[in-house]
Amino acid sequence: MANNLQTTPEEELFTGGHGGCRGCGAAIATRQALKALGSRTMVVIPASCMATIGGSGLTTAWEVPFYHTLFECSAAVASGIRAALDIRGIGDIAAISWAGDAGTADIGFQSLSGAAERGEDIIHVCYDNEAYMNTGGQAGGLTPGLARTTDTPSGKPTRKKDLLAIMAAHQPAYLATASVAYPEDLMAKFQKAREIKGFRYIHILAPCYRGWKIPAARTVEFARLAVESGLWELYEMVDGQKKITCRPERRIPAGDYLRPQGRFQGFAEEEILALYHN
Amino acid sequence: MIRQLLNGNEAAAAAARLAKIEVMAAYPITPASGVMEGLSRHIAAGELRCNFIRVESDHSALASLIGAALCGVRTFSATNSQGLAYMSELLYHASGLRLPVVMAVVNRALSAPHSRFPEHGDAMAQEASGWIQLYCENNQEVLDTLLQAFYLAEDEQVSLPAMVNYESYIQSHTREVVEVPAQEEVDAFLPRRLQAWLDVEHPRGINVVTGPELYMDYKYAQDEALQRALAVCGQVNEAFAARFGRDWGGAAEGYRLEGAELAMVTMGSMAATARMAVDQLRDEGQKVGLLKVRLFRPFPAPRILRMLVGVQTVLVIDRNIIYGSGGALAREVRSVLSHQSDTPVYSFIAGLGGREVGTGDLVKMYHDARQAQASGKKPAPYAWYGLTG
Repeated sequence: MANNLQTTPEEELFTGGHGGCRGCGAAIATRQALKALGSRTMVVIPASCMATIGGSGLTTAWEVPFYHTLFECSAAVASGIRAALDIRGIGDIAAISWAGDAGTADIGFQSLSGAAERGEDIIHVCYDNEAYMNTGGQAGGLTPGLARTTDTPSGKPTRKKDLLAIMAAHQPAYLATASVAYPEDLMAKFQKAREIKGFRYIHILAPCYRGWKIPAARTVEFARLAVESGLWELYEMVDGQKKITCRPERRIPAGDYLRPQGRFQGFAEEEILALYHN
Repeated sequence: MIRQLLNGNEAAAAAARLAKIEVMAAYPITPASGVMEGLSRHIAAGELRCNFIRVESDHSALASLIGAALCGVRTFSATNSQGLAYMSELLYHASGLRLPVVMAVVNRALSAPHSRFPEHGDAMAQEASGWIQLYCENNQEVLDTLLQAFYLAEDEQVSLPAMVNYESYIQSHTREVVEVPAQEEVDAFLPRRLQAWLDVEHPRGINVVTGPELYMDYKYAQDEALQRALAVCGQVNEAFAARFGRDWGGAAEGYRLEGAELAMVTMGSMAATARMAVDQLRDEGQKVGLLKVRLFRPFPAPRILRMLVGVQTVLVIDRNIIYGSGGALAREVRSVLSHQSDTPVYSFIAGLGGREVGTGDLVKMYHDARQAQASGKKPAPYAWYGLTG
């Protein structure tokens, strides 16, 4: 398990020179996860920032095979890859669908739910930046209540969909949350997931400074504040048994995480919390 | 070889079994469901080693086949109408990525209003999707054409997806005697030419964002590959005829076209009816023949032009309507004949949503066209045949 700097794999499978913004939470998540997954991995990416960050034209930052598919079907494509690998007798390659919050919880949810129900032997990853950042920052199902986005300038009137509860209801072989601020925890979860057969779901909170309206240099810090505030819990579920995997060294009031984010500007902490998903 | 009484869906399932498909993904839809059910039984009985992905939608069916095809295995699905429309954006992915996915399409009218009955409108709506489109007249042709479609789609010169079309109920649910070839014969006919594009030893990025400096050239290459399917279709037909003794004509087949002054042009099950109409009219001394189009995409323009040499009048019967334009087949035939402006092309829209078209109807269309021509009237862009109002 990659639980400290010494044991973290040195190999970079998502390399420098990618097209993400500086301080991109999604790129950090990808780099960390691929270190844990290793080179015998195939990645499916639906429409999302990651579809473009990983390369365009004739260049790519990926050192593993990847297919940029359509918005609503990453888990279905990964299912097909798994089926083909299995019929060819190749069991050790991990088939990963790596989607944003839209490609997971909104337009991608039907195929995700189908793959989960069938118990497909794949890992679906949601890198959650809580808005449609590839199309200019519109609100989606995983955008928290009252967040101001380009199509909810007065604040999103409804709360964040509790997708983790929905995915848990599918009874996956493995379910985990992760955060880009806790790389050891994140990598350990990917390593553990890789060794489990069946449908696995990992949900990473990956802040986007543009959408959250925070300084670009503070992506990781805000990811940590989310955990320290108790609004993003780091846990895993195996066979339905939930286990907290990482307890923050300090606790902070929720307002210390929410108030500095420009997207909640003008709203009181109580108002924001009243619409928070848990 | 054995002779069996098979409906179109059973014939399609038999072809996919004989082709030894490795991954199937399909979603229930009437009337195509019989294909996946038949193959599921073959898998359960141990007659076919294939992973069936029981997807939650038609969209995911093709999505998962694209994933599987990228790993170099033989893939197959069946759908129709709404299911095909729902797959639409993925059709373009399969062709743009040059993946030889093969699909049975059981042509059914698109809603609204809701219909379960035969029409080519579902496939015609996807004419620009870059898929090879083949149309079948009977259930033997369904089985044979599917075997040919795997060959054609996987040919290195082509490497494109193919849909094999046959009509709901008229074919899907009607049994006919079908010769089912022996497995060894099919193995000898159908080479396995598949490439794994997703490969951990040679990592590739598939479908990266492509700018104006490259996109158009990719599309040119794709269109060229589809055009190459014309010649390969002929080669496949010859190889098939040599081995199995059935010659379907390749891209198109002529019936009693020798000395014909008027040629009926149509596709699918209507061709069977048109044969009877031609026989009846020939018995009455009329100089008429049938041109049955099997390959609609790519459209076999040179072949059609050659087959229509000497024909003075053309009558096209379309079981589809491109709203505001007319019949898709008539449009193609007119385009082929564009430099022969003195050959009038009469276009009838008929049989939509399963409306009955019998031999008598085709005979009437023939006389209507003849009369119009005799009266010196220029053909209308298209006419609706058989309206009740």
